[in-house]
Amino acid sequence: MRPGFSPRGGDRGGRGGFRGRGSFGDRGGRGGFRGRGGGFRSPSGEGGFRGRGGGRGTPRGRGGRGGFGAGRKVTVEPHRHEGVFICRGKEDALVTKNMVVGESVYGEKRMNVEEGETKIEYRAWNPFRSKLAAAILGGVDQIHIKPGAKVMYLGAASGTTVSHVSDIVGPEGLVYAVEFSHRSGRDLLNVAKKRTNIIPIIEDARHPHKYRMLVGMVDVIFADVAQPDQTRIVALNAHNFLKNGGHFVISIKANCIDSTAAPEAVFAAEVKKMGSENMKPQEQLTLEPYERDHAIVVGIYRPAPKSKK
Amino acid sequence: MENRGFLLYPRVTLKINKLRFFECGKQLVSRGDYCVVYVFPPVVFITNLSNMSSFRKALKSQQKNHKERSQPGFRKHLGHLEKKKDYKLRADDYAKKQNTLTALRKKALDKNPDEFYFKMVRSQLKDGEHVANKAKGAEETTTQEERKLMRTKDLRYVELKRVAEAKKIDRLKSELHLLEADGKQKNKHTFFVDSKAEVADFDLAAHLDTAPELVDRVYNRPTFRTLESRSIQGAVEFPAIKKLAKQRKLQYRILSQRIEREKKLFVISQKIQTRKDLQDKNKKVRVSKETVNAAAVYKFEAKRKR
Repeated sequence: MRPGFSPRGGDRGGRGGFRGRGSFGDRGGRGGFRGRGGGFRSPSGEGGFRGRGGGRGTPRGRGGRGGFGAGRKVTVEPHRHEGVFICRGKEDALVTKNMVVGESVYGEKRMNVEEGETKIEYRAWNPFRSKLAAAILGGVDQIHIKPGAKVMYLGAASGTTVSHVSDIVGPEGLVYAVEFSHRSGRDLLNVAKKRTNIIPIIEDARHPHKYRMLVGMVDVIFADVAQPDQTRIVALNAHNFLKNGGHFVISIKANCIDSTAAPEAVFAAEVKKMGSENMKPQEQLTLEPYERDHAIVVGIYRPAPKSKK
Repeated sequence: MENRGFLLYPRVTLKINKLRFFECGKQLVSRGDYCVVYVFPPVVFITNLSNMSSFRKALKSQQKNHKERSQPGFRKHLGHLEKKKDYKLRADDYAKKQNTLTALRKKALDKNPDEFYFKMVRSQLKDGEHVANKAKGAEETTTQEERKLMRTKDLRYVELKRVAEAKKIDRLKSELHLLEADGKQKNKHTFFVDSKAEVADFDLAAHLDTAPELVDRVYNRPTFRTLESRSIQGAVEFPAIKKLAKQRKLQYRILSQRIEREKKLFVISQKIQTRKDLQDKNKKVRVSKETVNAAAVYKFEAKRKR
């Protein structure tokens, strides 16, 4: 086959209308670029790789009517981590239950499942973009982010992963999303407008005292800040906000810490640093095949002393 | 005809059949022309109507269409009737071939059996075709496919196609998360425990609180509690699951094809770019040779640009 010349007649079905940010988000064909946060295209509600048939002009949800039975186009299995699901149909995806039904945050695909009367909407969570999703699919033991949890998210960026974390913790939980950059902070604010359990904080995570009046005690700190002094940043926040026996989940990008050393050595050095900050690592996981030279370290902060028998 | 006085006189329009010595001003009359004849004894005036363009055109409605002669039925077996222009084509072609043959014969007669060029050492006839032998150790640097694309398509077009492909890949990847893809890179999972004794009797299934048969199912190892309390939703009947699995497989195949295509396009665009970069007169040294899967790498002399 000649490369580059699609045998499938190009991008079919990209004609659903509803471009831009209508009430249907970015659905309907190739939604173009959305804002500046993602720089990311809609995974085409209708078109894409439907093959024959072209696009249906109607903005109906995926997994709607048609095919074999309503809402029977996917299988949704509960994941090891509460609030996370695996959706297997034509797609093969990690998903979370959408808290704001009918809205995509960064153009991700949504799937509907009908169980009797109720209709549940799930959103795909792309492990190629989110370290946390990559860790979950990599088989991490605990993420400690669960319904009702209070989470501090350092390095929230445009709020793509944050939106999924907010899905997981649900209306009972809270996510304090800290991001320094104003530009991506703007997108984060937009996400937070729709999701009441996100508290956006546009501030430098190196100076937790600047936002201490906003944040209460948290159960988990998730950090994806990609800074050489990442561990110190997390420790500072942990000392301020993390409860005793709370947990931390840190994503480490070896290149950002030390681009000359071997990734393994970098991870080991970081783990060692954590020990000196009262943070006790429990597991470490590399993120292949989704990210190269990345690792997630999960641990406990100020564990309760072991009871002596 | 300008003189309208003529109209008062008896006249008749007729077709000239026999031509004697008629002359009408400077206009000559010929056989078959339509004329108005004014009878004005003892003189007869004739006006030639066939010279009026409107009349000429009007006449065409009556005239028969010209039909080209065709091969008569009883000579059908001889093929279509050849006309001069057909003959001309055939004859020219024949002459050209004859000339070529004569020239070749002449060349063969004039051949010098002692003639030698070094190129002859490196070439030979293969199936009657002249083939140049490749130098030893020379590898193919481009595939046929690449050559064709590089010749016909320009850099921007290839790049456009590549970017389009990359975007489609991105979109596909956002919903295909390689859960059970075979041949996927293995990751490394490390657990930190307190003592050596714990290392010795470490049981992964017990540590993860899951069933031992689920331990290899890395993307989802539900805990016992999840297994007991939760159930699978959506399509749970066997035929539906089977159909979905088939669709999923197809999607993965499309994805891998697109990735492959994107890679190829990338190589092509790099090669085209390199060829372009080589056209300027800056000094450069080749660092690595071109291969099928990669463009050549050159090191350019740093030059101050003003």
